[in-house]
Amino acid sequence: MAIQVSGITKQFGTFRALDAVDLEVRSGELLALLGPSGSGKTTLLRIMAGLEFADSGSLLLNGEEALSLTPRERQVGFVFQHYALFRHMTVFDNVAFGMKVRPRGQRPTSTEIKRRVMELLELVQLAHFADRYPAQLSGGQRQRVALARALAIEPKVLLLDEPFGALDAKVRKELRRWLRKLHEDIHITSVFVTHDQEEALELADRVVVMSQGRIEQVGSPAEVYDRPASAFVYEFLGQVNRFDCVVADGVARTANGALSIPADGTVRGPAIAYVRPHDLGLSPSAGGPGRVSGIHVVGPDARIEIDLAGLPLEAEMDRERLSALGLRPGDQCAVHIDRARVFPQP
Amino acid sequence: MLVKKAVGFTPALADSRWVKGLLIATALAFLLLFLVLPLVSVFVEALRRGTDAYWAALVEPDAVAAIKLTLIVAAIAVPMNLLFGVAASWCIAKFDFRGKDVLITLIDLPFSVSPVISGLIYVLLFGLHGLMGPFLKSQGIQIIFAVPGLVLATVFVTFPFVARELIPLMQEQGNEEEEAALVLGASGWQTFWRVTLPNIKWGLLYGVLLCNARAMGEFGAVSVVSGHIRGETNTMPLHVEILYNEYNLVAAFAVASVLAMLALVTLVVKSVLEWRFGAELAATRH
Repeated sequence: MAIQVSGITKQFGTFRALDAVDLEVRSGELLALLGPSGSGKTTLLRIMAGLEFADSGSLLLNGEEALSLTPRERQVGFVFQHYALFRHMTVFDNVAFGMKVRPRGQRPTSTEIKRRVMELLELVQLAHFADRYPAQLSGGQRQRVALARALAIEPKVLLLDEPFGALDAKVRKELRRWLRKLHEDIHITSVFVTHDQEEALELADRVVVMSQGRIEQVGSPAEVYDRPASAFVYEFLGQVNRFDCVVADGVARTANGALSIPADGTVRGPAIAYVRPHDLGLSPSAGGPGRVSGIHVVGPDARIEIDLAGLPLEAEMDRERLSALGLRPGDQCAVHIDRARVFPQP
Repeated sequence: MLVKKAVGFTPALADSRWVKGLLIATALAFLLLFLVLPLVSVFVEALRRGTDAYWAALVEPDAVAAIKLTLIVAAIAVPMNLLFGVAASWCIAKFDFRGKDVLITLIDLPFSVSPVISGLIYVLLFGLHGLMGPFLKSQGIQIIFAVPGLVLATVFVTFPFVARELIPLMQEQGNEEEEAALVLGASGWQTFWRVTLPNIKWGLLYGVLLCNARAMGEFGAVSVVSGHIRGETNTMPLHVEILYNEYNLVAAFAVASVLAMLALVTLVVKSVLEWRFGAELAATRH
């Protein structure tokens, strides 16, 4: 089912959480709402679910106006960051809840409910845990129960609010893969909120980058990463070196003249140049302008801090390449930029 | 050579055995002196002339009337405050609205106002020379010096118990489970009965027990509105006072012992429930 958001605005006191947001969620896709805290992504998700009211705008669920509908009428599945499992119910009863509260005429028989619940618990690989209470499960297991519970009402849309936010790094990664696979199997239109760019890029079909209640860019993970529409998107999607510079004749120069970066023709005057650490090339050179001020090894990668005539830079490369270059702290080196982006000064 | 000495090593939070012993002894002595001793003396005094005199004091018509009246007042006041307490804490914990702080302060008011004053307020409002007295009299309704007055005074005094117990609990539990229930298709009532109420049932039970204990034991406010009509508007605490003032010590302590037993039963019920459902109680906490 497709979702069409148009002109949604939401104000909390003096704070504008959403500012006339337009967005289309395509049927069957897995969409990520990505942004820093306070960017409005969770508010947008909660408005889609009916847990929050929009001040103005319209929301179409499968072509029908939905803002006036209650959450129960919208038939959406919602997964909360902190699971929100019913703590006094077993896993089984949690998953069965959505079916048991239906009006008498639409309620499945108890054998049918039992069959459906066990089927869903199979799906989330928790069939053995049906009799446990949420407090007896790990975080990852609880979130899978929450997912099974959301799917039990056969929702047309699945909305996930930072579903992996409360989990530790390893479980988070596993669950992410698992969710991706689940989505490939059942193809339910899904929107998830995250502030973790890696999560969004890995998991989503399309990524919506939000900032200060507005959408900065919508696109496939490769599009937003390779062709960020704004300085904000560039900065938010990964590590960056940022320089204030002035563009003249298609070349951006930093104030101290230590770096010159080719800029495309549209930018002129004061600008900001961005270079990703792995797009920064280094070579040992005794008379080079840069000096290696520090090296940090993180797993297979190395982060090299460079002092380029007073300008601090960070480069990243794998450790093998670094040892081939033979750079050590204190060495002089030459710096070349493989790829950069220049945005006009806002 | 480095010599490690373990002798002077004390864990930061472990007090010496001496301090621990002293603290425990102080606490026990205090309990004994101020709680156990008075309680025991109530029963000792009550049984001073033997079980026959004790029993006679309890089955005497005025005593029976007092016990009945106390039970009736509690049976009306406690459910009212249960209903009010749940409603108030629900709206305070789950919603944001203007004047919330004022409402919380108002709920606490009966704790800070002397019970005598709260009794007096009702006399001034509903008494014969009170604000609404002439109107009530013309309608043939009597509130002061009658059961309605007793109930009103008791409701006022026991007003905060349930709400005070529930508000922090519900605030700590947050709204997420209710939101989850709504999204899963539950109606407001279903959400309340199936999600909210089970989550607060222990706090609620505790609040109701406290409320009940106070409702039965209340003296000050009830004393003002009662009028002390023997066999009609005397609750147990008032009956105890009258008997005591008449130097009828055995009867006074006999009735007092029934009140004390009500308190003990309340405590026992609470402990048994906690013991019986302890595992479930633990599971429903985070």
